Amino acid sequence: MLSETAERVYWFARYVERTENISRLMLVRHQLILDLPKNIQPDWKLLVDMLGVHEEFAKTKRTPSEKNIIDFIFSDLKNPSSIISTITSARENIRTTREVMPSEMWECVNALYLSVAKRSGKGLPRSQRHDVLNEIIKACQQITGLLASTMNYDDTYQFILLGRHLERADMSTRIVDAGSASLSGDEEEIEPYRNVLWISILRSLSAYQMYRLNVRRRVSPNDVLDFLLKSPVFARSTALNLAQLELCVQRLSHHKKASQAIHGILKELAGADISELRGVKLHAFLDELQSRLGDIHNCIVSTWLHPETMHQKTAS
Amino acid sequence: MALTKKTTKPKRPSFDWRTYDPGQFYDELISTPGNPRKVGRGIFSYLNKYSEAHLMARQKATDLAIQEMGISFTIYSEGENIDRAWPMDIIPRIIPSKEWAGIEKGLTQRLTALNMFINDIYNDQKIFKDKVVPLELITSSKDFLKPCIGITPRHGVWANICGSDLVRDHNGTFYVLEDNLRVPSGVSYMLENRAVSKRVLPHLFNKHSILPVDDYPSQLFDMLTSLSPRKSDNPEIAVLTPGIYNSAYFEHAYLAQRMGAELVGGSNLVVGNDDCVYMKTINGLERVDVIYRRINDDFLDPEVFNPDSCVGTPGLFRAWAKGNVGLANSPGSGVADDKIIYTYVPKIIKYYLGEDPILPNVPSYLCVNDKEREHVLANLPTMVVKPANESGGYGMLVGPASTKKEQDNFAELIKKNPRNYMAQPALRLSTAPTLCQGKIEPRHLDLRPFVLQGSSSYVTPGGLTRVALRKGSLVVNSSQGGGSKDTWIVETEAK
Repeated sequence: MLSETAERVYWFARYVERTENISRLMLVRHQLILDLPKNIQPDWKLLVDMLGVHEEFAKTKRTPSEKNIIDFIFSDLKNPSSIISTITSARENIRTTREVMPSEMWECVNALYLSVAKRSGKGLPRSQRHDVLNEIIKACQQITGLLASTMNYDDTYQFILLGRHLERADMSTRIVDAGSASLSGDEEEIEPYRNVLWISILRSLSAYQMYRLNVRRRVSPNDVLDFLLKSPVFARSTALNLAQLELCVQRLSHHKKASQAIHGILKELAGADISELRGVKLHAFLDELQSRLGDIHNCIVSTWLHPETMHQKTAS
Repeated sequence: MALTKKTTKPKRPSFDWRTYDPGQFYDELISTPGNPRKVGRGIFSYLNKYSEAHLMARQKATDLAIQEMGISFTIYSEGENIDRAWPMDIIPRIIPSKEWAGIEKGLTQRLTALNMFINDIYNDQKIFKDKVVPLELITSSKDFLKPCIGITPRHGVWANICGSDLVRDHNGTFYVLEDNLRVPSGVSYMLENRAVSKRVLPHLFNKHSILPVDDYPSQLFDMLTSLSPRKSDNPEIAVLTPGIYNSAYFEHAYLAQRMGAELVGGSNLVVGNDDCVYMKTINGLERVDVIYRRINDDFLDPEVFNPDSCVGTPGLFRAWAKGNVGLANSPGSGVADDKIIYTYVPKIIKYYLGEDPILPNVPSYLCVNDKEREHVLANLPTMVVKPANESGGYGMLVGPASTKKEQDNFAELIKKNPRNYMAQPALRLSTAPTLCQGKIEPRHLDLRPFVLQGSSSYVTPGGLTRVALRKGSLVVNSSQGGGSKDTWIVETEAK
């Protein structure tokens, strides 16, 4: 497999995963508004923080109103983390690797792109939000399912998995980070809704039901943090995705360095006592974790995508 | 509940074929006003049954399918690359299989002779010694590549993939308009047109027995495999593309996908000290056996050709010359695809095969010959003048559609550089019913079948039909507002 193709496939998977996650985040925020009283309306700016694009938003010079933020995250091409941007990137990456993907794949991605591109500029009023975002999430799941059921489980597929799992591991840390920050407001005002807010964090990662099934206690911050970051069974937990990453790289050649890096983070994560972490300390811990995930990305790049050394295969 | 009165639905008005008038042209579907040719009865009865509004709805469904399938081509305009949806007209073009059998034979004959000719040019040069073709024509051609002298590619075949353009005149005779031996494109659109019609007009397929075209990618794969320097069942095959900004990028990706080959850019390849070609993979360097290159000769290898090329790979020519990699088409094949050489093809066929050409050439006048030039200059309004080495319909004069000023300009160009021009009488190209803004009207078309030659020969059943969508226009190129049609080779014998 060409390094260049591997790179595109890897990014394709990351962007599809990112599209799904952003849509889910928006959907959960949207549902949360309906639950909370007017005086503690969720800060829409939190979405911008979760996606790490506050600078880009500041550049638009627009007020952080619900409509402006929704527009910015849904359909602003200048925002690299908007849904339209991530779909466009996913489409561009698959457009240039169509030869290694099942052909239905392209039709799926293209249809998704066309449907979102058609909407962009029209905004996303409350009455349509649920349907539109749900459609996007469904389309992303269709893509993931189609890949799982039609691709050869070969190198190409490993790079799809690498992209997907790394993106998921990263997204979980971001959602926990920004979500817990939203809980640090006025204690007294927030208290009655604390539960609702933690549940909404779980929902952002479609973790609520799985949490219930797995943890079987009332929703508590300690358990939620543990579940989202360290659970060995939850599909979107950081630890599970790291474990999947480790398996993936081991199926590729020249994987020693990457494998060691992933293993190191997994071990640290397992050893860390995060349930008691709150506020600034939690934020610092998550920051460090994100930068370690960045190291894994760099290692993937330097080993396979833009190799520093070219191994020559002996003539067969 | 309100009472509903049962009424018979009024029959929707269908198209009145008596108003369809191809005039002096040969029409592919209609023989006399209101009557179809025998081979097209099925499609005719279908078209007759439905209103134009219904057909328009089918056309819309087609456009949508094409958009969803992402069938596109890229045009470069005003400094921007635009990805455009491929234009396809829903009414298929029909050719009887009996007639097709003759065309297929003619194409195989023609390409066999052309390949023998190219091999002769770069080796023994017998045809010049025997004074059948003047040597100066070759030595003055910019497509004659000196570095190729003395090389014989596998099977002695240079142009492995060819896309000849055929046209039918007012008498119904098919002519070869030009041989495209460099990097002909369009075959993916032929395949996708069929995929789209199956999706949008499935019921029509019951009325006809149509030769399938889906086999092309495996035929191409087999042909490329036959060029591999290493004996192996699964050689490493790569499609070399100039990149996503090329107008035919869609096709490059499509063919690589259908063959399970790697799609590579020049920078993904390196030529090692052992003069073998390798590609940069996640596992390191892997040897490539055969390259289906979609990059022009000029840009293929900066070591030998254009030194400024950034889409090619240094050393590629060397690797090919040493027989370490198969290249399709071979560099230098373009020498036989020149509008001047074209006029000699009937003689070339006779010379190498001892046979009369099955498919005729369009009568042509070489401006380099005084008498013929005078004829051309005197008859510019009824001629099509073409430069010897351009493709895509650029830089030509279509006499009947030109202004006096354009004709004068061309007269000057011809006088200045007569070697560079040839002319043909403007053919009265055949027409076929085409849906134009909700009306069925006759439009001119051509046909590009694809021929593969390696260890054996293969001709696609049918090919890509291109249609000039503007009324009266003869320009079918998609870059200049042309459309396309699915092409059906239909069995005419009773089942």
